[in-house]
Amino acid sequence: MSAENRAQETRGQGDKETRRGTPTMSEANGTMNIATRDDVAAWLDGLSRDLTLIAPKAVEDRVLYRPVAGSAEIAFDFGKADLPAKEYFLPSTHVLFSVEKDKEGLRVEEPSLEEGRVLFGLRPCDARALRVLDALFLKEPVDPYYAERRERTTLIGLACREMGEECFCTSLGLAPDDASDVDLMLTEVGGGRQEEGKGYAVQVVTAKGEAILGNLRLREIAGALPEPAVREKTPVLEAEAWSRYFDHAFWARLADRCLSCRLCTYVCPTCRCFDVRDYETPNRGVERLQAWDSCMAENYRRIAGGHDPRPTKAQRLRNRFYCKFCYYPQDFGPIACVGCGRCIARCPVNVDVVEVLQNVATL
Amino acid sequence: MIDKIRAKARELLESGQVHCFIGYEEGTRGKVRPAFIYEPQDADRLIWDERCTYNLVTYLHQFQSAPNPRPGGVRETPPPVGILVKPCDSRSLNVLFHEEQVEREGVYVVGLTCQGVKVNGQPQARCQRCAERVPLVYDLVLGGVPKTVGREDYADVVKLEGLSPGERLAFWTKEFDRCIRCYACRQACPACYCFECVAEQLDPPWMGIAIDLPQKQFFHVMRAYHLAGRCSGCNACEEACPMGIPLSLLNRKIAREVEALFGYKAGQDAQTPPPLATFKKEEELSL
Repeated sequence: MSAENRAQETRGQGDKETRRGTPTMSEANGTMNIATRDDVAAWLDGLSRDLTLIAPKAVEDRVLYRPVAGSAEIAFDFGKADLPAKEYFLPSTHVLFSVEKDKEGLRVEEPSLEEGRVLFGLRPCDARALRVLDALFLKEPVDPYYAERRERTTLIGLACREMGEECFCTSLGLAPDDASDVDLMLTEVGGGRQEEGKGYAVQVVTAKGEAILGNLRLREIAGALPEPAVREKTPVLEAEAWSRYFDHAFWARLADRCLSCRLCTYVCPTCRCFDVRDYETPNRGVERLQAWDSCMAENYRRIAGGHDPRPTKAQRLRNRFYCKFCYYPQDFGPIACVGCGRCIARCPVNVDVVEVLQNVATL
Repeated sequence: MIDKIRAKARELLESGQVHCFIGYEEGTRGKVRPAFIYEPQDADRLIWDERCTYNLVTYLHQFQSAPNPRPGGVRETPPPVGILVKPCDSRSLNVLFHEEQVEREGVYVVGLTCQGVKVNGQPQARCQRCAERVPLVYDLVLGGVPKTVGREDYADVVKLEGLSPGERLAFWTKEFDRCIRCYACRQACPACYCFECVAEQLDPPWMGIAIDLPQKQFFHVMRAYHLAGRCSGCNACEEACPMGIPLSLLNRKIAREVEALFGYKAGQDAQTPPPLATFKKEEELSL
């Protein structure tokens, strides 16, 4: 079965041309299509019978995107998942193929990818991050694994009502209720955080989204989508302007306190470096593994012979910011930061990208 | 108190006794962060309050010169630095002095008496267990006379030991499953200073690059063993962990074993060798 056919099957019947980017729903005539939370839960339960449902789930005191058996496991009231949904498109570990030897000879096996998936509760920043990754992985030569996973997954977005403490998505050109990167957008309306009277306004963004709408009960009511609360933006320098500050002493001083751990890159929805290595399997075969790597790691740039062209942590930390705001936009188009603020929230030593952007603007 | 710290840092920098003073400063969003002061006039950035949880001793490694790789080669003497240490940090400092990672003469230690620090406004369990309120090593000590002293009762370790092996395995599997192999724990740890960690060594590939449960378990158990008799309970690892894994529980389990077997607590002084790093002739070996 070709990738295209498989994708068609995943989308199901009623697949129409993509309507990404066009005005959706009934915004023009001032009405919204509302579904109650119970109806959304029942609808997700229905979807989970045929598709893998991935949704925010409480894991100890964290909220993580996890495959769930049904809506009962979903953490509906959450701010932002502690880790992005990146791992479902660029898994932290992925066996590309394995080679086993038996009497017949060599056998090469390629593990099959996951079947159709629905990702519920994707925040606009995490959805935009996928668009950022698309710019690299879907550009020729296309990464077939990423492309397949992307194709087989329908994204159900959940608009933010407000910006979280460390969020700065608006500085990167997004809005907390940005619907442009998902297939279906849900916005909480009415009832505040209470269960009663709470519902979701449903916007169909793409044909892929429309295809999974199925029998979700929608009620048309008058009204407009609530405006999310936003904060002042942080100015972000143009990609070209960054080269002026490459040799500035600022980076060494900033890096003094950097621990050179991989935390910021592994909680980042757009950091995408990986390593590929071969390992022996228990049956004396071999498997080729792809796993996340991090430019913050001390051995990241070490090459044959032991030379490291980026040996200091100041060079490594500078590279992370240049990669996001200078190199990636120059090479692939989008800025490789969506303002989710996870690195700010989690950095053990308060390396704060918003502060860095402010500081660089005044160097 | 803050004035005294700033004055001392300024004096050390002005006199050239140190080229950098490592302390704490106000960060963004109400956070405190490590500060590196190179100029006397910047000493006013230094602060000290109960949010100052970081163990700054970790940063001494970056001021050390790499050892000369040639046989018999000597390490260049690095320029001296000044550092603020709490009692818990001073234990880490003793560990590094003993292991000859940092030269005593190369560090000017400003010790601070401490009644405990807070993370997000919460008093820390480790502070309630801390038996020291005055640093164990310092050139100058600042702060009032401490009122209370904590006591380590290993209550949480005892509770975990009460579980069956199966239950303990389930507990740690659940905890380590959340690990993302970011190594923040290791990087924040003053006692983890290998040039190349077993976890990242590519040849031989002890662990490999996969970020799966076996690698996560291997890494944390390996790290805990490497810290046996060396971990001084500063909790920097746990505070750095983005996934809330209770790493101190593992480290303190081993600390308790070491204390029970050898009557040894890490970092009490810079002379007594840790039991796992020494050998006595009368020791019985059951090899």
